[in-house]
Amino acid sequence: MAEVSFAKEIEHLKLGDGETFYGEGILAVTKALLQSGVAYVGGYQGAPVSHLLDVLVEAEDVLSDLGIHIETCTNEAAAAAMLGASINYPLRGAVTWKSIVGTNVAADALSNLASPGVIGGALIVVGEDYGEGASVIQERTHAFAVKSQLWLIDPRPNLPSLVKAVEMGFELSEASNTPVMLELRIRACHMFGSFPAKTNVAAPHSAKHRLGAAPFNYDRLSHPPVTFKQEVDKVARRLPAAQRFIVEHGLNERFGPTAGEVGIIVQGGLFNVLNGRMTLAGLSDADGNAGLPILCLNVVHPLAPEEIVRFCAGKRAVLVVEEGGPDFLEQAIGQILRKGDLNVTLHGKDVLPMAGEYTPAVVGKGLADFCRRYGIPTPALDGWLGRVAAQRAEVETLLGAPLPARPPTFCVGCPERPVFSAMKILRREIGPVHVAADIGCHAFATFEPFSQGNSILGYGMSLASAAAVSGTQTNRPVSVMGDGGFWHNGLITGAAGAVFNRTDNVLVVMNNGYSSATGQQDILSSAQAKDSRGIGLDIEGALKSIGVPWIRRVRTYGIAGMVRTLRQAITEPGKGLRVIIADGECQLARQRRIRPAVEKQVREGKRVVRQRFWVDPEVCTGDHSCIRLSGCPSLTVKPNEDPLRSDPIAHVNNDCVGCGVCGEVAHAAQLCPSFARIDIVRNPTAFDRLRRRLGDWLIARLGGPSAAPQRLQPAE
Amino acid sequence: MSNAGIDSSRHPAPIKVLIAALGGEGGGVLASWLHSAAILDGHLAHGTSIPGVAQRTGATTYYLEIVPGAGQRHASTAPPVLALNAAPGEVDLVVASELLEGVRCVQAGLVTPERTTLILSTARVYTVNEKAAMGDGRLDGERLRQVAERFARASLIADLGATARELGCPISSVLLGAIAASGVLPMPEAAYRQAIAQEGKAVEANLRGFAGGLAAFRPRPAVTPEPRRAPAPDPRLADLPVAAHAVLAEGLARLADYQDEAYAQDYLGIVRRFAAMPGADAALVCELVRHLALRMSVEDVIRVAQLKLRAARLARVRAEAKAEASDIVDITEYLKPGPEEILGLLPPRAGRALLARVSHTRAFAMTVRTTRVSGFLRLRALAALRGWRRKTLRFAEEEAWRRRWLGLIERALAADPAAAREIVALAALVRGYGDTYRRGAQNFERIVAELIEPKLAGGLAHVSLADALVQARVAASKDPEGEALGATLAAIADAAARPRAAAAE
Repeated sequence: MAEVSFAKEIEHLKLGDGETFYGEGILAVTKALLQSGVAYVGGYQGAPVSHLLDVLVEAEDVLSDLGIHIETCTNEAAAAAMLGASINYPLRGAVTWKSIVGTNVAADALSNLASPGVIGGALIVVGEDYGEGASVIQERTHAFAVKSQLWLIDPRPNLPSLVKAVEMGFELSEASNTPVMLELRIRACHMFGSFPAKTNVAAPHSAKHRLGAAPFNYDRLSHPPVTFKQEVDKVARRLPAAQRFIVEHGLNERFGPTAGEVGIIVQGGLFNVLNGRMTLAGLSDADGNAGLPILCLNVVHPLAPEEIVRFCAGKRAVLVVEEGGPDFLEQAIGQILRKGDLNVTLHGKDVLPMAGEYTPAVVGKGLADFCRRYGIPTPALDGWLGRVAAQRAEVETLLGAPLPARPPTFCVGCPERPVFSAMKILRREIGPVHVAADIGCHAFATFEPFSQGNSILGYGMSLASAAAVSGTQTNRPVSVMGDGGFWHNGLITGAAGAVFNRTDNVLVVMNNGYSSATGQQDILSSAQAKDSRGIGLDIEGALKSIGVPWIRRVRTYGIAGMVRTLRQAITEPGKGLRVIIADGECQLARQRRIRPAVEKQVREGKRVVRQRFWVDPEVCTGDHSCIRLSGCPSLTVKPNEDPLRSDPIAHVNNDCVGCGVCGEVAHAAQLCPSFARIDIVRNPTAFDRLRRRLGDWLIARLGGPSAAPQRLQPAE
Repeated sequence: MSNAGIDSSRHPAPIKVLIAALGGEGGGVLASWLHSAAILDGHLAHGTSIPGVAQRTGATTYYLEIVPGAGQRHASTAPPVLALNAAPGEVDLVVASELLEGVRCVQAGLVTPERTTLILSTARVYTVNEKAAMGDGRLDGERLRQVAERFARASLIADLGATARELGCPISSVLLGAIAASGVLPMPEAAYRQAIAQEGKAVEANLRGFAGGLAAFRPRPAVTPEPRRAPAPDPRLADLPVAAHAVLAEGLARLADYQDEAYAQDYLGIVRRFAAMPGADAALVCELVRHLALRMSVEDVIRVAQLKLRAARLARVRAEAKAEASDIVDITEYLKPGPEEILGLLPPRAGRALLARVSHTRAFAMTVRTTRVSGFLRLRALAALRGWRRKTLRFAEEEAWRRRWLGLIERALAADPAAAREIVALAALVRGYGDTYRRGAQNFERIVAELIEPKLAGGLAHVSLADALVQARVAASKDPEGEALGATLAAIADAAARPRAAAAE
């Protein structure tokens, strides 16, 4: 069960004709799937599209009413392969994942899907994780659309457009027998807005109304000899069909006057940013009534040459606003212009950058540059650009130093943090070892204060990435992998490969019970419980079954034990893969589960012991070694109360969940005697009270606690 | 070519709001309340967010646009075009729950004097680098605040986090109250309250916070702080600089508590001796008073036990942990003295002999409940060793260190008083326990051996010792591995070896 409850959103999914849907972009897409009569949905979690699956997983009644089959796939390859149902059968299906990474994982299945094409509409909703807030390498999904001949929709970011993109996406897919990708940038997924809802549509064939006997048709296989036929079919039939559909249904939109000396061609997803800057320049308004002709490409692949030619004909120049590289659109448009023998000057990456997010400032600069070349005055825009730069410079001068970044870090009480504390402690003893990092919360260990990680090669790839390192370094490298990455592909790509090749390697699997970084989705090894999709698969059992010779399970919060086990794994002589399963439930999930239960117990008058940690302000000397080794958000600093000292002292704030790591670190690294655990017994029993009274009495008889010294106040 | 006439008067311009928060602070809830309140009041509201890795403490932003009176367009298939990003200079209201994040918005140009009302909580959530610095790595909060204030058209800059803590509610609800009070948005207070009720979570606490936020924006009469009276000089200390008196009194009290009155008088004697030396100005004496008191009250095992038996601790712990009167509170100390600390209790000869035989990584981890009789007794026994302290190895070592340090100060005073002051300050490097202490002591020795001794012996001709010591002290606090210190010392040695090249630069 994901960390957010979608009870309210599920109600929104049930809206019908005449009602208004309010909500997030990605949930509007989800609703549009239901309005389009999908028969099956699948995907793999990842920001910014996780909510699509999360909400559907919870919306059991909606799905069963409509007969929709849902799968939370083990990885994106599985999700892409799931679309195979639409190759042979008239079933509409949709899958989702985070791109570029998910698309990379899915690539093999995507090629094999694209070759025969589909009969039922197939839609792939990808979260284009690009620009601010992105957590993956910066590449464009566009390349996959081009090379596999999939169509790519990049809709204008507003909810009605997203909904239309989904509905038309299915139709385009069916009209051209080609899978369609719908790319949504981060801000579009998280956009809040509204649209007029339609009643959901049940698919004619679905889990409720099942298909009969399966026909055999060799043409539907991506297998020679028909692959050659399919290659021809893609270009000779499917591509023209798609181009015809795009033009006939007006999927791309025109804004502004029909005629004009210069025009702009923009990716749908960037229209809003462009419009914002044009509004500032006095060239548009908040409703997109542009003063220059704009062709807004809601479908960025394929382009319909006739549409481009019609837009560009008679213009002196056209600006292509296309985010990221390579400049696929600009190249394609250039070729269309050349072949159409149009004498139009093409601008794009000459005035706009090839790399990086197209923020208002970036687009504003490019727009101003373009306008200047064609004599369009944009004084407001120019002045604005100057002021933005001037304020930045002024603030920097006033501050005197750059502001520190605030990257995400491990939560309070996170079970993964102590593993890196242990690794840092061990590093002092055996020197730095190569750490192969992976995708997941544990990648936060690459930031301060741990600064551990020499490479990241993809999800579940850490162990595989250390294969040659292990063969060429003195110390065994340590690969870190989450349980999410382990089931995504780490078990086979990493562990089985290392066993097969007898590689000397150390693998630490973070067994926190969920796919935590993406919002606590259940994975194969998640415990079986009410509201859980987990089936409790055993990581240790899986490793044993593939013949891993050395497996240890360690509770992550026991730092001394973790240091010992890591030392053993890295330094002890012997051959083969060594796996440490680091057990500790995701603290966010744990708190979400136990907090209400504990509150209830306290209310009912039951005895409850709450624990938290504390730093003795008189004993702390303000060196902050503990912070450098723990990094817990609740372990912070506060001003020193000692008039003889000036450096701030460590301090545990009330966010502390009492995981004990700071105390363990103080012990394991032999730091200082400042840490203390506080046990607060709520609703103590009569025995508790008696014991305390007796103890206090005895302590008093033995001299009792001492008073602090009187400060010698200088005489007035 | 001229612009086609754009008629921007047809629709009211959107009011633009940016919320900067940290993951887990309720920025998303705050945005959601604003959406609901605007919609309830008949306005069009849309927005977007960069939620970061939500609940995982990184920076997050939420952006909203509210078009007054355009609520009916929610059901339209052609809504106004939302600017997906907050654009510099075009934001009407910026709300930040943390000082640094607020200033980040200012730096990005999102807070501008022409347009932006800024609601900023000055509460700090320190970044990892600020916290992890070996000394004081905190940003200058006052400077951040001034920058924020300077670039806002109007501002409410206050510790709204403290307001939230006092009221026992999330900071997001206090911020919502402040937003309502700012008057930037068209919604009446009732709409915000209704939005909180509609969300349905912790309604009571959130309404309390909302009211607190409303109140925070009301102008309050300025309170002039009472001028601090400077303490009158102590006649007993008439021969010492007045500026040093307060700290000296603190030092005397601490050392009497640490050991005995005679020990405190030893301290005063040393201070007097140095204060009388030529070249010892008030600044040097003040620093010496402070560092000497700290060096003479080193936290050995006996001292730690003594501190942990203080009666005032329990009350303080109870308050910090928010324990209620009926709760029972236990304190469990995490102690792990190493061989130096334990064998340091023995007489010097015996202690040294044994220390030579054990690995210094052997340590004794123990947890001691000072609120229980057995734990109390154990610490009590250790604290009772106070009378024995002067006979211990640790005391002898500390005394030797002090003598050496004071000797260097004395030698430097004759030649270079500025450098002498820096040698005094160098004592700050040696502090803490275990590895931290060892590392500090090593760094000190290294600086003595590579800078102070050669200079006092007449070497390092072109090097200013005072400057070099400042550089070295700062470098030694840069990283625990001592890399920065090594580089700095090498650079100084290099400059000393090539004086002409350095002068030419």
